[in-house]
Amino acid sequence: MERFKKVIPLLAVALFLVIPLVDDNQYHVYMLNRALINCMVATGLVALTGFAGQMSLGHAAFYGIGAYATALLTVRVGFPVWLGIISAGAICLLVGMVLSLPSFKVSGFYLSLVTISFGNIVWMLIVNWHSLTRGPLGFPGIPSITLGTQPLSRVGFFYVSAVVLGLMTLALYRLSRSYIGRGMKAMSDDEQATETAGIDTKRMKVLVFSLSALYGGIAGGLYAHLSNFLSPESFVFSESANFVAMAVVGGLRSIYGGVVGGLVVTIIPELLRVKGWEIYYLMGSSLAILLLVIMLPSGIAPAVQNVYNRLGARLGIGGSGSGSNGNGSGNGSAAAVRGDSKSGGR
Amino acid sequence: MLSLVIQNAVAGSAIGLLYGLIGLGVVLFFQTTNLMNFAHISSAMLGAYLCYTYTVMWKLPFALAIVMAVMSVALYGLLLKRFVYAPLAKRKGGRLEFIIATLMLSVFLLNAVIVVWGGVPLPFQGLFGSDRFPIFLGNVVIQYHSLFVLAYITVFVIALQYFFTRTMTGKSLRAVAQNPRAARLMGINVDRMLNLSFMLSTGVTALAGILLIPVYFVSLDLGSGIIGVKGFACAVMGGMKRPYQALLGGVLIGLAENFVVLFVSSTYRDVITFLFLIIFLVLRKQAEA
Repeated sequence: MERFKKVIPLLAVALFLVIPLVDDNQYHVYMLNRALINCMVATGLVALTGFAGQMSLGHAAFYGIGAYATALLTVRVGFPVWLGIISAGAICLLVGMVLSLPSFKVSGFYLSLVTISFGNIVWMLIVNWHSLTRGPLGFPGIPSITLGTQPLSRVGFFYVSAVVLGLMTLALYRLSRSYIGRGMKAMSDDEQATETAGIDTKRMKVLVFSLSALYGGIAGGLYAHLSNFLSPESFVFSESANFVAMAVVGGLRSIYGGVVGGLVVTIIPELLRVKGWEIYYLMGSSLAILLLVIMLPSGIAPAVQNVYNRLGARLGIGGSGSGSNGNGSGNGSAAAVRGDSKSGGR
Repeated sequence: MLSLVIQNAVAGSAIGLLYGLIGLGVVLFFQTTNLMNFAHISSAMLGAYLCYTYTVMWKLPFALAIVMAVMSVALYGLLLKRFVYAPLAKRKGGRLEFIIATLMLSVFLLNAVIVVWGGVPLPFQGLFGSDRFPIFLGNVVIQYHSLFVLAYITVFVIALQYFFTRTMTGKSLRAVAQNPRAARLMGINVDRMLNLSFMLSTGVTALAGILLIPVYFVSLDLGSGIIGVKGFACAVMGGMKRPYQALLGGVLIGLAENFVVLFVSSTYRDVITFLFLIIFLVLRKQAEA
C-alpha cells in the first residue's frame, strides 16, 4: 500500500517525460524546454526565499549573466559548450556571493529593493555595454549543444535539461535535510534565535545566495544555447518578477514548488494564446497568476500534496504524514537544529 | 557654468519633488499596512492616462480633469484593498505573497492600458505651459513645468498638513498608523482608515503621474519599474514613516540624477541612482522591514 503512494508521483513524472516523444510540434517542445529552464531558476528561488527567507527580485540578472557569459566564452574565446555553461554557473556563483553581502544588514522589503536595483544595474549594463554584448542589437550565432558531432535536437535538449533539473532538485532535497538546510530554515523563522543557537547565519546567507545564483546561471547558460540568440529584453525586471511568481505559485516551502510553479507559470500564457485574442493574452495570464497567488498563498505543490494525502487517508492507504516531505519539515526551529548538531548531524 | 548648475538644480529639484510625491504615497501606504505595494507606480500611469482621456477625448477643463483622474484612481485604490489586500490578509498571505500579487497586478494594469489606449506614447501638448518659451533669468533657463510643479506641490503639502493636524479624520489616520490596536480601543474605525489610506496613497501617486507627463509623456514608461523604484528609494530615505522626509529624499535623488547627467554620463544615470540606493540601504542604521 505504501508503495502505491510512491508510484503515482513517479508515474506523473514519467508521463511528463514522454510528452516530447509523443508530441511532434516543435514549438511545444521548445516551450517545454523553456519551462524546464524556468523551473531551474524557480528552484533556486525556492531555496533562497522559501528555505532561507531571503527575498530576491533580481534573479533575471543571474539568468542574464549566465547567458551572456557562456555566449561570450563560446563565441569569442572558443570554449566548448559544456565548459561554457559550467563557467557561466561559476561566474554567477561568485556574483551571488557578492550580492549576499548586503543581506547581512538588510532584510525583507529593503532586501528586495537592493536586489531590484542589482537586477536593473545588470540589465542596463547589458543594454549599454555595446562592445561586449552588442546591446539592443542582440547577440547572434551562439552554438547549440552538441552530442558527439551532431547538434542536439530539441527533444534531446529536453532530456538534458530534465536531467539537470532533476539533479538540482535532488541536491536541494539533500541540502534541506542536512545541517545547513535546517540552519537555513531556522534562520528564516528567527534569525536572532538561530545565531544564539550557534549557527553562522552569514555563512548560510553566502551559501544560499551563491547556490541560487548558480542555479540561475546554469539556467541562463542553457537558455543561451537553446535559443542561439540573446537580446536584453529577456532579462528585464518583469522577468525577475516572473521567476519569483513561479516560486510563489508553485509553493515556496516545498522542494517541488519551483518545478510545479515553473511549469504552470510558463504554460499558462501559452494556453491563453488564442487566435484573434493576442492582445489580451498577457493581461489574462497575469490575472490568472494574480488569482492563483490570492487563492493559494502557500502554493500549488503543498495544496496538491494535501489533497493527495487526504485522498490517501480516505482510501485507507498508509499513514497521512509520511508522503509530505519538504512540506511538513518546513518548520524547523533553531532548537531542532541544535539538537540535530548535537546528535552528530555534522 | 554657474548658470548651468543653477538651471540643473532647479530642474532636478522639480523632478525630484515628483519622485518624492510618489515616495510620499509609498509612505502613506506603509504607515497603515506595513506593506509595500509594488503596483504603486501603476497608479501614476493610470492617473496620466485617465487625465489624458478626460481632457483630450472628453474635452473637460484641465483642472477638473486632474481632480477627476485623481478621484478615479483613488476609487481604484479601494478596489485594490477589496480584491487584493483583503483576500490575501484573510488567507494569511505574507509579505512576499503581497509583493507577487501586486507585481502581477502591475503587469495586468500595464497590459490593460495597452489594450485600452494602445502602446504608443500619446502627445499631450500645452500642459503646464510646456509649449511656451522658458523663462530667461540672465543666463539661467527655467522651464515653466518646474514652476508649476513647485506651485502644485506647495498647495498639496499645505492641504495635507491641514488634513493631518486639523481634521478629526486626519488625526485618526495618524493614530492608526502609530498603533492600530490602541486606535481601535479609542473608537476609531480602523477598517475605514485603512480604506482611506489606500485611497490617499493611490491618489497622491496619480497626481505625481499627471505632473510627470511633460517629462515622460502619457506613456507606458510611467508604469515601468524604474520610476517606481525611485519612489521606493525616496520613501526609504524618509525612513518609511515620515511623509515629508520622503519629499526631501526625492529632491536629493532628483538633484543627484541631474548632476550625474551634467558631470558624468547620461547613459549610466540610472545605474548610479541604483548604486546610491543600494549603498544607502546598506549603510542605514536600522534596516529592519
